[in-house]
Amino acid sequence: MLQFNFSCPLPALGAHGWLRWCWSAPLWLGGLLLVTTVPGLCQLAGSGSPAISSYKKLSLAQLMDIEVTSVSRRPEPLSDAASAVQVLTADEIHRSGATGIPSALRLFPNLHVARIDARQWAVAARGFNNTTTNKLLVQLDGRTLYTPLFAGVFWDVQDTLMEDVERIEVISGPGATQWGSNAVNGVINITTKPARDTQGGLLQGGMGSELQLAGAARYGGTVAPGLYYRVYGKHTQWDGSVTPRGAAGGDDWDLSQGGFRVDWERTTNDEFTFQGDIYRGVFGQPSNGDIRVKGSNLLGRWTRRFAADATTSLQFYHDYTHRMIPGVITERLAIDDVDFQHQLPSGERHQFMWGASYRQMEDRLENAEALAFLPARATRRWVSGFVQNEWRTADGEWRYTAGVKAERNPYTGTEFQPTFRVARRWTERQMAWGAISRALRTPSRIDREFFVPAEPPYLVAGGPDFVSEKLIAYELGYRAEPRSGLALSLAAFFHDYDDLRSLEPADDPAEPAQIANGLVGSSHGAELNVTYRPNESWRIRFGYTEQRVKSEVKPGSRDQISVRSQSLDPDRYLQLGISHDFSTNLSFDVTTRHVSRIANHEVPAYVELDFRLSWRPRADLELALRGRNLLDRSHPEFGATASRREVQRNVHGSFTWRF
Amino acid sequence: MALLTPQLLRAMRKDRPARRRRRPGLLLGSLALLIASGFLPLRAEVGALKEYQVKALFLFNFAQFVEWPAAAFAGDRAPLKIGVLGADPFGPVLDAVVAGETIRERPIAIERSSQLLDLSDCHIIFVAESERLRIPAIVAATADWPVLTVGDSPDFARRGGTVAFVFEGQKIRFEINRAAAQRQGLKLSSQLLALARIVGPPVEEEGRR
Repeated sequence: MLQFNFSCPLPALGAHGWLRWCWSAPLWLGGLLLVTTVPGLCQLAGSGSPAISSYKKLSLAQLMDIEVTSVSRRPEPLSDAASAVQVLTADEIHRSGATGIPSALRLFPNLHVARIDARQWAVAARGFNNTTTNKLLVQLDGRTLYTPLFAGVFWDVQDTLMEDVERIEVISGPGATQWGSNAVNGVINITTKPARDTQGGLLQGGMGSELQLAGAARYGGTVAPGLYYRVYGKHTQWDGSVTPRGAAGGDDWDLSQGGFRVDWERTTNDEFTFQGDIYRGVFGQPSNGDIRVKGSNLLGRWTRRFAADATTSLQFYHDYTHRMIPGVITERLAIDDVDFQHQLPSGERHQFMWGASYRQMEDRLENAEALAFLPARATRRWVSGFVQNEWRTADGEWRYTAGVKAERNPYTGTEFQPTFRVARRWTERQMAWGAISRALRTPSRIDREFFVPAEPPYLVAGGPDFVSEKLIAYELGYRAEPRSGLALSLAAFFHDYDDLRSLEPADDPAEPAQIANGLVGSSHGAELNVTYRPNESWRIRFGYTEQRVKSEVKPGSRDQISVRSQSLDPDRYLQLGISHDFSTNLSFDVTTRHVSRIANHEVPAYVELDFRLSWRPRADLELALRGRNLLDRSHPEFGATASRREVQRNVHGSFTWRF
Repeated sequence: MALLTPQLLRAMRKDRPARRRRRPGLLLGSLALLIASGFLPLRAEVGALKEYQVKALFLFNFAQFVEWPAAAFAGDRAPLKIGVLGADPFGPVLDAVVAGETIRERPIAIERSSQLLDLSDCHIIFVAESERLRIPAIVAATADWPVLTVGDSPDFARRGGTVAFVFEGQKIRFEINRAAAQRQGLKLSSQLLALARIVGPPVEEEGRR
């Protein structure tokens, strides 16, 4: 079965890809061999586990004090979610050596993650990728990360201490019913560990060729039983990218961030979380001077458990961001958000859930000459609610989920996003699911209030009639665990889009163009993910996505340009990752990925290779050597030829000390 | 409802073996020093245990702190049976742990099956992660059996099982659903309850513990 999956995608690489693949395979196999045969290294690993019988006398309290060496390496349980969900655990994120959230997202086989330059990323699921991808909902600990300016994510300021991330969950396909109105093509949900799980100190430092300097410190403690805290700070300094001709890209950047989290388990049924972050960064530009950013956020959450699975949760957050782009725009944005969710006690066969949320943004812009968002100051409010019921047949084999989200937005009024999902389980090791959903990308400021230049006469004069972009998605999925340690999931989709954004020239050439909904689009494809863990020390994962994304002009639209920039998507991307523990203190991870050509921007296909070698000379110290994009000095991943930047090879060494 | 009171927690801490306390200042000096001293591992022995080795030891310990109704055993010397339901994560470890051991003069036997009914005469049933989707059915079926169900899924006790293994950082903890234990006619020692996180609906105290 595994053999089939390995051999199947290879022909898709094309002649050039074949060569690269063959070349890369001996490289890492050689690396593996080299490391395994260095006896000295293996010696350091210690003599393996002592006989278990010598531990029989340990008391329960003593057992509770043991740190086990392989927490999350056990096979993840077969998820029973009726959607295309992929999960990365803390251990997998740690082992990947990801230095930030976007680079951790590279591990998800259902995401196309492209590095635009030293600090910008294009991340999308199921197509329509762009520098300002707007069909993805991204949340960090319940806080929405996309900006109401263009409904995309400024990835350069979304950071946290990667060691504190507990899991990242990526759902490809719509998740609008429960998650919100930007969850059209996917949801990325990042959760950090509760403060209880990050007790003690952590000191991290590293240097490298691209990530030139990275340092982080964290300390977690207990104030009283049930009341835990942690504080952290980190600083990263990146070297700039290069142009295709090898000149410096001028986009060196650095970011400093700090934060805290307090968790109070008042009783076993009441939990309070209080957390916040603050950051400041300076981003180089080839001209115009540095971009300066700063921001802060504060979040509180109260979760109450009534019965085994009945909970309510009340959450509030305040998020402030400031971004000064010289000569373009300065934005000060404050968002306040309140969210309530209630999961009723599950009956024999029903599980009901509802929620409501209120969101307010206050946006203050200083427009420069080139472009403007008008009005420059705006306060906008969103109110939404959802209901969802899940019921199962008496034998538990069939499960149905129906839900709808209603949201009132300041631009188009109240809109509905329903979903219906069916899951069928044969055994505990096999399930299939299907779903039909409607999801919307509601207008953001760029769709309605965007003007070029800042003063009349305009070339582009907003989009007064712009309405939500609409998707009807049809999905089918299959998940199985044919044998212990081997898990595979497959999801196929057909997405039908209407009212995609276009730029309509006016009848009179002297009049400005306006933003409208002149395009339709569709995409179809399949996502495959296979993980195999033959034993505790090996882990192999393989991911493969094949997709076709297209958009076309509706009758009556005169936009001839947007079609080509709507979808900047490769037809396929795949990756193979191998993790191995030589012993409890020496481990090796290698990942190779292939991304096919992005036709609309003529970005060539590429193959790259990442690795990480980790050695723990002591239980509390880890030394790691990391290589990124090793196959080329530099390669492009995204962007039009004229302004393109290339991603360089990066080798980085680091230490992590826990005390 | 039994909660971890501050006094109890303090008492627990005192019971624990003193761990070597390392002051941050001592080692902050240089990375080189850290590496050099790395050849003298501090906690290597205990640190080398793997997750399911520790969990097997936990299971063995649980057996010592639970009292089953007499009717649960065929006779005075009848073995105490531990069943593993689903994909066995222990390998030979569990057998090694209980080999040659007795609990209240009963030998310990291990049984494995993917069918719950095959394990109906077991006193402890370890519910492997592979059975996660069947938890509601397992909980319902075992509700009135005199059996300690121990789930490997973190939400097992919250969903009605008796004991669940959960993680706190890299350390293993366990949650106990006292209502479930009561329904199953099991008596859990106060020592066990003191170390557990108690979940599920509250139960009436049966006199002084």
